[in-house]
Amino acid sequence: MRRFLIIAIPLATIILFLVVMLSGNYLKQPLGKNDDIPGLIEVLIKDIQDEQWEKVSQKAEELDQAWEKVVFRIQFSAERNEINNISVALARLKGAILEKDRLSAIMELKEAYEHWRQLCQ
Amino acid sequence: MNEGLVVFVRSIIAFFSLLIFTRIIGKEQISQLTFFDYVLGITIGSIAASLTTDLASRAWPHWVGLITWAALGYLMEIVTLKWRYVAKVLEGEPVIVIMNGKIMEKALKKAKYRVSDILELMRNQGVFDPNEVDFAIIESNGQLSILKKAEHLPVTRKDMNIPAQNSGISTELVYDGILIEENLRQLNKDKDWLMNELKAQGINSISEVFLVTLNPEGSIYIDKYDDHITKITDIGDYKGPF
Repeated sequence: MRRFLIIAIPLATIILFLVVMLSGNYLKQPLGKNDDIPGLIEVLIKDIQDEQWEKVSQKAEELDQAWEKVVFRIQFSAERNEINNISVALARLKGAILEKDRLSAIMELKEAYEHWRQLCQ
Repeated sequence: MNEGLVVFVRSIIAFFSLLIFTRIIGKEQISQLTFFDYVLGITIGSIAASLTTDLASRAWPHWVGLITWAALGYLMEIVTLKWRYVAKVLEGEPVIVIMNGKIMEKALKKAKYRVSDILELMRNQGVFDPNEVDFAIIESNGQLSILKKAEHLPVTRKDMNIPAQNSGISTELVYDGILIEENLRQLNKDKDWLMNELKAQGINSISEVFLVTLNPEGSIYIDKYDDHITKITDIGDYKGPF
């Protein structure tokens, strides 16, 4: 039994570490309510193209909250730089929405999506 | 993102990964390390450190670096165990730097040691006069082994024909006030015997003693918690804080 534990405990520890380090790619995907980052980005792009700014503003807020949730889940497995890049893109998006700047808003959303895709890869 | 918490979790990952890998890699003592082993240790430690605090990149690539270095280190160990020739190439081999009392200048140059280094290593071993040395060898771990000339070797019991008995290794019977029954059984003794020995020294309970050892010859060493020493010799040469 002791010999088994001597091997099993380090092995279980390593497996746990692997799960913590590699879970980011799974955890960034939508798992519950209001945490679908790519889905929200898609909806936002469509609403911006239709220039429905009221709706866009509300969806941008939802995207911000969804991002907060995802960051909490992936913080142990993700790189700080990509997280910062997405946060900055979302902040810029808010500015573009405030000025009703279609071009900038879509650019920021596309950039945020690309960073999200690269996250934990 | 709570950076402090992330660093804490990453520290746990790095710490225990390092602990597990080093246990797998080596049973060697620090003193037996070759220069490459030393560099290997530093590199693995450095990767573990960046795994802990470099939040700009993910923990995973650092961990892959860590396990790769550890695996290569392990591989090298297996290779050097199996193939002696490879071991000589990778770890080097002992170099004779003093032979029959004469310094081998070429060997010294090849090993990149100065004569002053050899004299220093000799002094570390208590040899202050090169005349005393018959052979000196730089081992692959960088230490110097010395064989003194016969006239400078100490007289042994065998030289004097004095009969000697092997004293054996002392075994702990009580450690920090706790009886180690397993060791007692190993020496074919029991608790009653130990209590009688302790009573003979004026001790009534095991909890009064800090350490009891016994060697196979039957010589017992007892140290009590209460040492009854009022004036303790201070070997410090300068008044410190304590």
